[in-house]
Amino acid sequence: MNPSGEATRAAYAALVRGASTGDRDAMERLLMRAQEVAYRFSLLVCGDQADAEDVMQDALLKTYQHVGRIEDPEAFRTWLYTTVRNACLVKRRRRAGEPAHLESIEQGTTATRGEASNVDVPDKSRLPDQVVIDRWIGKRLSQALRTLPAPLRALVVMREIEGLSTREVATIMGISEASVKTRLHRARVKLRRQLEGL
Amino acid sequence: MTLPPDLTCRGALAMISAYLDGDLGATDCAAIERHCQRCRQCAGLLDGLRDTIGLCREAGDRALPEPIRTRAQARIRRLLEREKPSSGGQRN
Repeated sequence: MNPSGEATRAAYAALVRGASTGDRDAMERLLMRAQEVAYRFSLLVCGDQADAEDVMQDALLKTYQHVGRIEDPEAFRTWLYTTVRNACLVKRRRRAGEPAHLESIEQGTTATRGEASNVDVPDKSRLPDQVVIDRWIGKRLSQALRTLPAPLRALVVMREIEGLSTREVATIMGISEASVKTRLHRARVKLRRQLEGL
Repeated sequence: MTLPPDLTCRGALAMISAYLDGDLGATDCAAIERHCQRCRQCAGLLDGLRDTIGLCREAGDRALPEPIRTRAQARIRRLLEREKPSSGGQRN
């Protein structure tokens, strides 16, 4: 893990310890972080502003309910991303009847060698959400991220943008560390290619 | 792992992410660096990937848009007010 990733994990653990022993300030900061994670992950991976706010609400409540029962504060970050990712999956599944949202973030795992997947199909009705993302992280990166299949996008968001370690991402996605590394390399090369073309 | 001193482009490409992530030992790092000194294509890729990772890290440092942040803070206030011990609320 890179030093900043290690420091972030320790900072989360300290907040969890504080929050679980009645420190209101620690609780507020932890709940804000949980919502920040939920917003970034949901919006960048799934691209839907309304869903992102629902996932924030879910992360807020689950963190509040969970924090007093945590045995290993160091594992909180992994728990949080797993929770957020699951909430995003549920959101996507609930949209199963809506053509523009058919693909879950689980699907397309093998469709990573340049072929387009459903999530890559431009959808004009979602433009306002895309404008939000463009303004937030910059149009260039936003456009390049959109070209990645959803599972690779989730990987890039967790590993590169959020700074999680390979081991943490492997735990969250339920795959081996070797698979994380292989897929991340593929995602980086593809992302680079897209950025060079923009 | 020890990479051959006369690393090919294919070999360098396979290890370039491990190099960027600091997963390689000093000998293997030196093999990648030697290869990139004499191969402009691989050196370009290395720089490009470094830039890509940097761009992502910068995005991770961006604060939430202000309206989203304000709503998030309001949600926290509402939750903590509702769950105050004096109000008789209890955590689930």
